[in-house]
Amino acid sequence: MANDGLGRGPSIRRTRVRRMFALHLLLAVGGILAILPFLYMIANSLKTYGETITRVSAIPFSPLFWPRVPQWKNYADAWQSGALSHYFLNSVVISTVTLLGLYATTVPAAFGFSKLRFAGKNLIFTLLIATLIVPETVLLIPNYLVIARLKWIDTLAALTVPFMASAFFIFLLRQFFNQIPNTILESARIDGSSNVGIMLRIVTPLSTASLSTMGFLAFTGAWNSLQWPLVVTQTPKWRPIAVGLTTFISEASAQIHLRMAAAVIALIPVAVLYIVAQRQITEAVTHTGLKG
Amino acid sequence: MDARVNAPNMVNRSKRLMNNLEGYLFIGPATILIAVFGLFPIAYTVFVSLFRWRIIRGKFIGLANYAELFGSAGWLLLFVLSIFIVALGFVLLRKKRARQGVPDPALFRTSAAFLLLIAGLAGLAFSLPALWTTGDGNVFDALRVTVYYSLGTVPVQLAGGLFLALFFERKFRGRQVYRVIYLLPYIVPTVASAAVFQVLFSLRPESFANLIVRLLGGNALGWLGDPHGIFGMAFGWGKVASDANPVVSYWASWVRGPSLALTAIMIYNYWVFIGYYALIYANGLANIPRQLYEAAEVDGASRWTMFRNITVPLLSPTTYFLTMLGIIGTFKSFNSVYVLRNNTIGNAVDTLSINIFYTFFSQSRFGYAAAASLFLFALVLGLTVVQRRLMEERVNYGE
Repeated sequence: MANDGLGRGPSIRRTRVRRMFALHLLLAVGGILAILPFLYMIANSLKTYGETITRVSAIPFSPLFWPRVPQWKNYADAWQSGALSHYFLNSVVISTVTLLGLYATTVPAAFGFSKLRFAGKNLIFTLLIATLIVPETVLLIPNYLVIARLKWIDTLAALTVPFMASAFFIFLLRQFFNQIPNTILESARIDGSSNVGIMLRIVTPLSTASLSTMGFLAFTGAWNSLQWPLVVTQTPKWRPIAVGLTTFISEASAQIHLRMAAAVIALIPVAVLYIVAQRQITEAVTHTGLKG
Repeated sequence: MDARVNAPNMVNRSKRLMNNLEGYLFIGPATILIAVFGLFPIAYTVFVSLFRWRIIRGKFIGLANYAELFGSAGWLLLFVLSIFIVALGFVLLRKKRARQGVPDPALFRTSAAFLLLIAGLAGLAFSLPALWTTGDGNVFDALRVTVYYSLGTVPVQLAGGLFLALFFERKFRGRQVYRVIYLLPYIVPTVASAAVFQVLFSLRPESFANLIVRLLGGNALGWLGDPHGIFGMAFGWGKVASDANPVVSYWASWVRGPSLALTAIMIYNYWVFIGYYALIYANGLANIPRQLYEAAEVDGASRWTMFRNITVPLLSPTTYFLTMLGIIGTFKSFNSVYVLRNNTIGNAVDTLSINIFYTFFSQSRFGYAAAASLFLFALVLGLTVVQRRLMEERVNYGE
């Protein structure tokens, strides 16, 4: 056995090893609990209808938890039968359009509140932030009436325009822009740059990380939105995936394998984006969580 | 002379005007959109709530929607008054506690505080059942469900999150992998993950939750399909005759506890939020200066003492943030309950926002739903104000 010369090396090292082992054991148990529902979802999406009833187990290490032969055609069935493909594409369009609109309004607004001087700035900012505490349910009825008056029911505009500005993201971006030193902007001004130029050529490139985090959060927000689309879509024409999935799961009621396949389809874009940008997103959520 | 003084002034003024204009151009689009879809609707809701309004605007009926919601004005007044009296009692009690150590000369303040608390709680004990019977029973049932939903989720999430965070705090190999996994339930679309929990906690005997129950030697349960209160099921609490006094039957509905269906939804909430809470807590832990622990260790403090006297107080800003986020979140939450709600169990899991949504969406009672939504708004606003006060008063910023 190794010894550090003081006669207590092995025991110290042993307690440390033991402690690391306990740490990993505990975190692993938590991690398994976190991903267990996903495993269940994937396993059942690949079973046959009969297997979802007879071949069941609560333990993912048991072969009974998994299908005998993966039924990949469940995905094709869910994709076609519930018009899920249509809703999926709707959601891609809705989320993308919302995101572009959001960038177009939020970046200048955050820049204005962070770097420009004008009368009433603090008052307007406070008013905007105050809207954050209003529950969505309170806004639902009046906004529905406005959208109906505009004859926007069942249009792309109804699903995107109200979300093209967000006090939360203005607040978030302003925090990041505030960290950019004003001296950089001043020197650009002396060189003759306009504020638009400064925003596009200096501030935006310096904040790509926060802008892409905002993009992720806004995209998933739009993808996940349910209450508002339920109200303003009366035909399947522009119905997004969140609404499509809820109708699909009530129609497919007993067919768990199809419901799970549909759920996998609905969460794939968000999961892929999350895994691609995981480091940035975990950082952003843990640090801005305290400010949001 | 005058001209010379004024000229730069004029230049300055027009420059300032240009600056203002430019600023408004930058913030304009976002501000207008938020004003139209975020601020104006609040006033419009008030307007709508004063009408009989089913899809199209009907007769102006003044406060009749509110009368239907709350029943008699007297009981509503007593209800609001009782809340204020309870709040006042708490404030008095805190003032006393804040000066711990110094003997309080005015002993009567404490007794006054207790008297106020008792009076306020008694007022609540009688006014709530009265509102429940004379007003809209469904809305007050929804209020009970919402309160249970908050009480059943937030403390568990705080404790679970803090416990996990204690292991997360140090840097170690594979930390990022755990972070990604723990945040995953929070990140994925609620609709999709709730669709999975709908199956996990279904009432079928072969559902995942029932497999676990049977592994532990119990009988299969109804889970999301069971509207009965869990305390009633487990201990037989809250049984009343159907002709009992309204005060008794109202409070019995509390004693029976949250429904098993709501409990399953709470478990879904734990799954979504504990990892998220852990990451936020871990961030708070990382901001506590190492030296404090080292100094305490030199003084011979035990691990528990350090946790009690350093970690918990210095984390209190995070705790308050997460508490209020959680409570207000349950008052606002929609997606998870909407998906996990089983149509066969009546209003057993309907929170206020779900109740209002159905009043609006299925019954098309726009005016009445608007009035109820303003009640919800008042509650959220009240909670936010309380949060602000508590933050200012008690949060330790580690000075």
